[in-house]
Amino acid sequence: MNRRPPPVLRPRGVAALELVLFAAAVIALWCVPVFVKKPYVLHMGVILFLAVIQGQAWNVVGGYAGQYSVGHAAYFGVGAYTTMMLLELHHIAPWWGLGAAIANGVLLSLIIGTITFRLRGPYFVLASISMAEILRYAFLYYKDLTRGAEGFLLSEIPTLHLFGQEFEFVTKRPFYFVTLGLAAITIVANHLVQHSKLGYYFQAIREDQDAASSLGIGLTLYKSVALAISAAFTALSGGIYAMFVKFIAPDLVFGIDVSVQFVLICIIGGIGTIYGPVIGAMVLVPLSEVLRNPRGLVQVGLASPDSSFVQFVEAHLSNAHLLVYGVLVVVVILFAPDGVLGLLRRAGARLRRRREAQGEAGAAGA
Amino acid sequence: MPTILDIRHVSKFFGGLAANSDVSFSVEQGMIMGLIGPNGAGKTTLFNCITGFYPPSRGDVLFKGVRTNGLQPNQMCHLGMVRTWQKVRPLAKMSVLDNVMVGALARTTRLEVAREVATAQLEVVRLAHKAGAIAGGLPIGERKKLEVARALATRPALLLLDEVMGGLNPAESEEIIQLILELKRSGLTQMVIEHDMKAIMRISDRIVVLNSGEKLAEGEPQQIVNDKAVVAAYLGEEVA
Repeated sequence: MNRRPPPVLRPRGVAALELVLFAAAVIALWCVPVFVKKPYVLHMGVILFLAVIQGQAWNVVGGYAGQYSVGHAAYFGVGAYTTMMLLELHHIAPWWGLGAAIANGVLLSLIIGTITFRLRGPYFVLASISMAEILRYAFLYYKDLTRGAEGFLLSEIPTLHLFGQEFEFVTKRPFYFVTLGLAAITIVANHLVQHSKLGYYFQAIREDQDAASSLGIGLTLYKSVALAISAAFTALSGGIYAMFVKFIAPDLVFGIDVSVQFVLICIIGGIGTIYGPVIGAMVLVPLSEVLRNPRGLVQVGLASPDSSFVQFVEAHLSNAHLLVYGVLVVVVILFAPDGVLGLLRRAGARLRRRREAQGEAGAAGA
Repeated sequence: MPTILDIRHVSKFFGGLAANSDVSFSVEQGMIMGLIGPNGAGKTTLFNCITGFYPPSRGDVLFKGVRTNGLQPNQMCHLGMVRTWQKVRPLAKMSVLDNVMVGALARTTRLEVAREVATAQLEVVRLAHKAGAIAGGLPIGERKKLEVARALATRPALLLLDEVMGGLNPAESEEIIQLILELKRSGLTQMVIEHDMKAIMRISDRIVVLNSGEKLAEGEPQQIVNDKAVVAAYLGEEVA
């Protein structure tokens, strides 16, 4: 009775250290554009931070609440189209447009949640996929409203006047800071969710819906809350993505590969953990960018233009990034079912055990 | 004693099969009601009808005088009724303390409060030394205790235990029996499904016997043991 192990709440020292490391990482990344001017590096940074936001967003509903949505492209696409269409058709600046994107994402999540949360397990997954596909087809079909497959090309982002200063969204730099800030906010938000009643209830739903329900948890309510939080951040990332790449079309933002990528970020890094999506994004984004455009390696000086690796990737893999994703998933599921983070944790535990064993052996020897 | 649970002519059909048909009885506050019957008699189905997992096909369930047909299990929990599961359902990847905290959070939004309640509840079922362990790794005896602690943390007025002694060794069963009696002394009303006849006779104030979905008998333990119909249902007609 006396030797009760310290449960749940980790010692304050660890939490403080975590906070310091987190702040240091954000500050260091904030300073990167001062030293690195190459647009390709900043471009990679933006795509990486967007992936972190998307991974964290999916993690809330997929990781904590255990509802494996493979249709998050729905919220991403709606966020992208909302921001883009408001700007191009109504000249509403994206900082307002992003607010509308979040609102539309949440609204859509409530509708989709009402329909799909009646279903459990694989049926829920299939329903979530079909929701995104319905939207993709709708955006392709109703050309008068959405311009169909032609999509939208961004003309110009207006200058933002804030605190007497002018912010121009012409280069990649401002996007770098905006997405970095938002990624940090999403991580903090995820942390807050995990350490609250919501986090406990989400996890209880993931572990056993009937038990959760018998303990007073309204399944539909809490699943909807998880999905709404998730959809808000996903729609936000969609809106920023549209402004950043300056062109969207239904297949680009509503495609199933978009949904799959969100899930993969979490699976690779570690589902249901705070830093899993960060690690997942760090693995997946460089990989997919290099596969799509191996010349980027040359631009940042990591490979020479006539390197055989670049030529091989360009010749054989540059249109096969989905194939590589597939192989990656199989490898992760086989060798690191809890993601990279789980792998690291297990390695750490093994190391600690070995050290303890050695310590005991040493003590016995002495 | 006032009635806390009133079951009036409850029937539950699955297709053509009547899992419960026209079952009526009531549970008074503070008592332990035993529910027995051969396999397939409809005991768990009745639990499901009472706790909101199934709506009854016919009849009414009144809890604290309020008709609760059609309410969801989470609403029943907030009204003060909670059940445990015959096949235990730990929140496997969460710690033992976190499991019980989920129960406690039904009555608070503050984690510190929930943690206190949960810790106290683990003391009650004598599982405090396992607070930090992962629930999925507990042996069956401790899982059963965890179920009870988690249910108690929701601060119920009525606790329904579905074969909480199933699969336990005699020492563990005895511990559960003592726990049930202790809870009774603290004023908690309980309804208990159990196959262990000795145990159920010891703890119950009244017993309802179900057979093929129908109520076969009701009475105090002594009356039930001597009831010819009950003995026939359990041992066959010839013996009776």
